[in-house]
Amino acid sequence: MRVNFPISNFKSQIISMSTIEEFSGYSPTWCPGCGDWGIGAALKKALVDLNYSPSNVLVVFGIGCSGNMNDFLNAYAIHSLHGRALPNAIGMKIAQHDKPVIAIVGDGDCYGEGGNHFMHACRGNHDITVIVHDNSVYGLTTGQVAPTAQKGFKSKSTPGGIIELPLNPLTLAVSQGATFISQGFAGRVPDLIELIKKAIQHRGFSLVNILQPCVTFNKVNTYEYYREKAYDLPQDWNTGNFEEAMKKCAEPTSIEKFPLGVIYQVEKPTFTDELPQLKEKTLFQRDRFTDLDSLLGEFE
Amino acid sequence: MQSLLWKIGGEAGFGIMTTGLDFAKIATRQGYQIAGYMEYPSLIRGGHNTYEIHISVDKLHSSKYHIDVLVCLNKETFDLYKKRLSPDSIVFYDKEMFEITDQNITALHLPLKETLKNENAPVFMMNTITIGASMAVFNWPLEVHHAMIEKTFGKKGEEVVSINKKMSQIGYDYVKQHYPDKSFPAFQARKTDDTNLVMTGNDAFSLGALIGDCRLYSAYPMTPTSTVLTRMAEYAEKVGIVVRHAEDEISVINTALGSAFAGVRSSVGTSGGGFALMTESLSFAGVAEIPVVIFLGQRPGPATGMPTWTEQGDLLFAVHAGHGEFPKIVLAPGNLEEMYSLTAEAFNLADRYQTPVIVISDKHVNESIWSTSKIALKLFSKSYEVDRGKIASEFSNLQSQISNYKRYQFASDGISPMLIPGLQGHFYQANSYEHIEDGHTTELSKSRVQQVNKRNKKEITYLKNHFKGPEIIGDINTSDVVFVSWGSNKGSILDAMQLLKEVGKTTSLIHFTHLFPLDEKAIQKVFKLKKRYILIENNSHGQFGRLLRQQTGIDIEEKLLKYDGRQIFREEIIDYLKIEM
Repeated sequence: MRVNFPISNFKSQIISMSTIEEFSGYSPTWCPGCGDWGIGAALKKALVDLNYSPSNVLVVFGIGCSGNMNDFLNAYAIHSLHGRALPNAIGMKIAQHDKPVIAIVGDGDCYGEGGNHFMHACRGNHDITVIVHDNSVYGLTTGQVAPTAQKGFKSKSTPGGIIELPLNPLTLAVSQGATFISQGFAGRVPDLIELIKKAIQHRGFSLVNILQPCVTFNKVNTYEYYREKAYDLPQDWNTGNFEEAMKKCAEPTSIEKFPLGVIYQVEKPTFTDELPQLKEKTLFQRDRFTDLDSLLGEFE
Repeated sequence: MQSLLWKIGGEAGFGIMTTGLDFAKIATRQGYQIAGYMEYPSLIRGGHNTYEIHISVDKLHSSKYHIDVLVCLNKETFDLYKKRLSPDSIVFYDKEMFEITDQNITALHLPLKETLKNENAPVFMMNTITIGASMAVFNWPLEVHHAMIEKTFGKKGEEVVSINKKMSQIGYDYVKQHYPDKSFPAFQARKTDDTNLVMTGNDAFSLGALIGDCRLYSAYPMTPTSTVLTRMAEYAEKVGIVVRHAEDEISVINTALGSAFAGVRSSVGTSGGGFALMTESLSFAGVAEIPVVIFLGQRPGPATGMPTWTEQGDLLFAVHAGHGEFPKIVLAPGNLEEMYSLTAEAFNLADRYQTPVIVISDKHVNESIWSTSKIALKLFSKSYEVDRGKIASEFSNLQSQISNYKRYQFASDGISPMLIPGLQGHFYQANSYEHIEDGHTTELSKSRVQQVNKRNKKEITYLKNHFKGPEIIGDINTSDVVFVSWGSNKGSILDAMQLLKEVGKTTSLIHFTHLFPLDEKAIQKVFKLKKRYILIENNSHGQFGRLLRQQTGIDIEEKLLKYDGRQIFREEIIDYLKIEM
């Protein structure tokens, strides 16, 4: 359960134990071996472990192979436009901040098309969990290069190799004020379950950047590649040090190493915490404002 | 209709806006109706600002050409507006700033600079002196101005209040002493039963949104709707709504779609450029069937255009905005009363039809001011009922018994029950992809056709149940000329009709508020008589004319179009008809 929830009069939404089957929608259509399978399984297990049911989680799906989870995961959900999942998630949270809000997005979706929203969602410390399927390609449109692809990556849209440097979502998130920054690997599902649980339980903006091999269109960032380049953060890693987090987050760029685990986590008031009008009830549950008369004096 | 026009002009940044608004409130406190508007460049300092207030006993709808009192805080004001003066006009100026040599003009010197120097007062207090002087020529009690000073400057402390009062007194005394014969005896203070409020169209939108139970307002600042954002932000904590000033207009509308999905009435405000950024998401709202109210304040485009001026150039863009085919409702208020009532109604329509509703307006109605009855506003607020249609948080409220809930269930009226997320034992997705009844994605031809037909039915249901035909003002049967228009042009047309009536010329107006979709049969009936119809629009394409022809086959050949960034004035309509007044 989420801890330290500041609102005293919310009734608990938790009913009896849920199951993975309850969260399971259609059978996934992802390619055999795709990293998304592991992410989908880990997310469902995390929600069950946290005792949520499909009726008390709010989810937004972006557009891409990741967003196609819309039909595979049961929840009150929006299948959004490409790039726009985060502002939808922010709106959902503002309206019903007693429920967890999860955004399922891809790297092209969230860091490319929706890059502006990502930066500003970090700044606002909106209490949403952003799960990014980071595979460095646009899988659904058959493998064009995505913003996290390494320099020189050859794809249909960059036959000579990509000229731009890869975007580093981790340093971007730290610098823009995100309060929970983590990285997982789709090939390590048990760890992913724990990471997603921690992210959902965190109060504030939480990022789970998941290194997700695309077996069809990315022949560089494979399972083998990440098994070699990714490593677990030490047990005693201090998640509260901004400068150290910044250095750690820079490793994919600086030394081509990928730290796994919670890199940075601090407690700060969330966007809705800062709104006194939401202290007692959610925006949805509030009574309608009717005292129009009290506003008219200044027009006389 | 007896009326006076008071106008003040000066350098931008010197408090002209506050002064104009205060003078308008003073006039209503004396029992008068007002219509006022301001002109300002897209600059913070250095340009030229003006505010004019048209004052009358009777309800006023627009400004007028002839200026009765011109307050010049610099020479530019005089040079720009002397053409609108007559020998009866009073011009306040300071001969230390410039000379007026024209003997045909009643130029009254006020020692503005000298007073500032003597009293060691800041330059923007020149305005206060001129209001004091204006109180004197209107024969209005100076206490009314002093009460306004306390209201406007009270927060800034006693010292600011007392020096302003002193400035006001100096202006008043100077006129009484030096120009005792200059006054307007017909405009004495008068008693009225109703209190008149002075507000902008943006204020009326904000109040209408609150009446309509809007709980989330999201926006990115853009003239001419920025003052809705600031007004709603000012109210937010007190009234219990949330205002999000998002990073861009794409985030603005998607925030609203997220909160609307989660059960909260949501609205966004913008102008043409910001609306352009929203259009992909407008289409998303259409297919996912998420209710949202979009406030579009037009200004002259294309692109950045003329940001602080007015035009009705985005009507066809609004009507056709968004890729793909989906239902959409476009409403256009033409004055304050229509603004608050149609805005509140827009929230009911968005919910009933679970689709975007656009409230289209323009800078003239957004930022100009009028007086409006407080009693009428309160009555409207009391009588307004929130109708969420088939949106509910529990099945008992969904107007149908559903065991297996389907978000996009077929319905003869096109409207499926919308369950607000949270009910235990249920879940669904609002899908931007084409979907089957339960919300899952589909590419099957049969399902596609079923859902398209379902959404299209909403338009038919709307036309049957909630479309309102145009308001007809005056008697078409006896009119020589029938004006056809929409939006803020209404004010000038009504005032022109009144003047024409005074010289024995009968005209009428067909004023549209529910612009899209249009009911072909109902509207054809309105135009059944052979008349001289004149389309009046504040754009160069005659966009409503094109829409009317597209939707109903009615073609209005004669057009009075204006597109210089200024609203249409009543005199321009009379001039167009070549009628001597």
